[in-house]
Amino acid sequence: MKGATETRNWLIDNQGLFFMAPAIILFVVFVLYPIFYIFNASLYDWDGINQAVYIGIQNYIEMFTDDRAFAVSIRNSIYWTFLTIFPQMILGFLLAYILTSGIPLQNLFRIIFFMPAIVSPVVLGIIWQRIYAPFGGLLADLAFETDLRFLQQPYLSDPKIAIFSTIFVNVWQWTGFSMLMYVAGLQGLPEEVLSAAEVDGAGARQRIRYIVVPMLKHVHLTLILLGVIGTLQTFALVFMLTKGGPNHATEMLPTYIFLQAFPLQSMGYASAVAVVLLVIALSASIFQVSVLGSRFTIGTK
Amino acid sequence: MKLGKSLAFAFVSVLALIWLVPIIMMLVVSFMPPDQRAPRFGGLLIKGVSLKNYATVFEDAEIVMHFINSMAVTIPSVVLVVVISSLAAFALARLQFFARDIWFYLLIMTLMLPIPTLVVPIFQINKALGLNDSYLGLILPYTALGVPFAIVVLRSFFAGFPIEIEEAARLDGCTRLGIYWRVMMPVSWPAVAVVIIWQFMTSWNEFILALVTMNSVDVKPLTLVPLVYSGQFMMRPGPMFAILTLITLPVIIVYYLMQRFMVSGLTAGAVRG
Repeated sequence: MKGATETRNWLIDNQGLFFMAPAIILFVVFVLYPIFYIFNASLYDWDGINQAVYIGIQNYIEMFTDDRAFAVSIRNSIYWTFLTIFPQMILGFLLAYILTSGIPLQNLFRIIFFMPAIVSPVVLGIIWQRIYAPFGGLLADLAFETDLRFLQQPYLSDPKIAIFSTIFVNVWQWTGFSMLMYVAGLQGLPEEVLSAAEVDGAGARQRIRYIVVPMLKHVHLTLILLGVIGTLQTFALVFMLTKGGPNHATEMLPTYIFLQAFPLQSMGYASAVAVVLLVIALSASIFQVSVLGSRFTIGTK
Repeated sequence: MKLGKSLAFAFVSVLALIWLVPIIMMLVVSFMPPDQRAPRFGGLLIKGVSLKNYATVFEDAEIVMHFINSMAVTIPSVVLVVVISSLAAFALARLQFFARDIWFYLLIMTLMLPIPTLVVPIFQINKALGLNDSYLGLILPYTALGVPFAIVVLRSFFAGFPIEIEEAARLDGCTRLGIYWRVMMPVSWPAVAVVIIWQFMTSWNEFILALVTMNSVDVKPLTLVPLVYSGQFMMRPGPMFAILTLITLPVIIVYYLMQRFMVSGLTAGAVRG
């Protein structure tokens, strides 16, 4: 009976595990197991229906030596990382700074700038297709009516431009989120420090540069962390705007995984791409958390 | 107003107008009269206001059915995330148990995981469990993927709760479960509100898992509707944009009702040291 008592005592001491159980079970089934699954599946040639054939690391060899679309999607991810995160942060900070300075209607402005962030990328993709459309599109008509000829561009059909047109929509969608994070950060700054600096004769520009920006370091780092993860997740917007085309010019790793797994029925290869995406995501996150000290500030600071 | 402030006000006013153009365009095109052939400026200028597109959508697109599908996936996932994550966050903030920190870091790792890495396995798991084309096939993964963020938000909120009140409740004979349910949860509504908004928006807008899981039209949530009808409404932007407006309306309403809590909830988390 001693064993039973010990078990009982252990369970009482560890009753937290009962509280954790549902979360842990879901985590194991829908996160941990899938991770093992893609590592395993990436070693097979498999269409998802018939018997899979073990081919070792052949999928990886092909991916890194003979797959232009994969290379393009890596290049696009790098563009996307730098051309979304920093513009969103700079514009978001500027807006947040203005919208915490006590100008009229500032709450309304905050709602307006944040609004695109809550709208489905599926919806936004279709709207922006209409803005970019070469015939009858908003920008094309504007170019025609106003002589601002440079506005007429093959935004989504030119492989050289398409990725930047897509990135622009992302910046428009997420700048308001950066703004909101900076608003929260700015409201948390200690009033005394700022007014002390003002008394000491520091102008607005100096206060921003030497006090506000450094003190918001945790917000910058959180936004970079979320931006990298967001970049690596990008699917719906690209899928709706260009389906990764023309000729893979806007392919991202997620759209490429989908393309391989479903339209092309190549589950093994798709899993190998997914493994690469997973490794990039985890190493980028671990680097940021351990080296830069980023955290999910929403709550954990 | 000082000159600087006036300039700032002018700057954000102009920018806000430009910012709103795509949203305004969605609304305007959805009210475009069906007989207007070539809308100017992508549809920003229309020749009159008509509700015909909405009538068309409700007649031809079974929009109500898709709306119910979205609700049937979103609401259970929100409820499950709140219950499961608050239980876990309470344990992580307040109880000692085996491998507590390891569990926490493993769960947090999920936040860094791009969902598209999981589509192949989740599709296959659902297939094995017979859950493709069923609500549960989306509810369970949405819950699993939503729980970690909710835990981050709730755990810090619970951790900031004064320990003395908890000890007083313990002395009065309250169990751990009682403390969670009767003491902690009732005062945690700002954090719970953040979790509800976030989970509602992510489940409502989620696309890639829905795309691969829901193949039969009858179970497709609203987020897939533009794809379903893109052929039918290809040459008719009016009904398509009415669909887009109807998809967007619920999230705007939820956000508007909850946005007061959103900023205060985020601020509470960001400020607490």
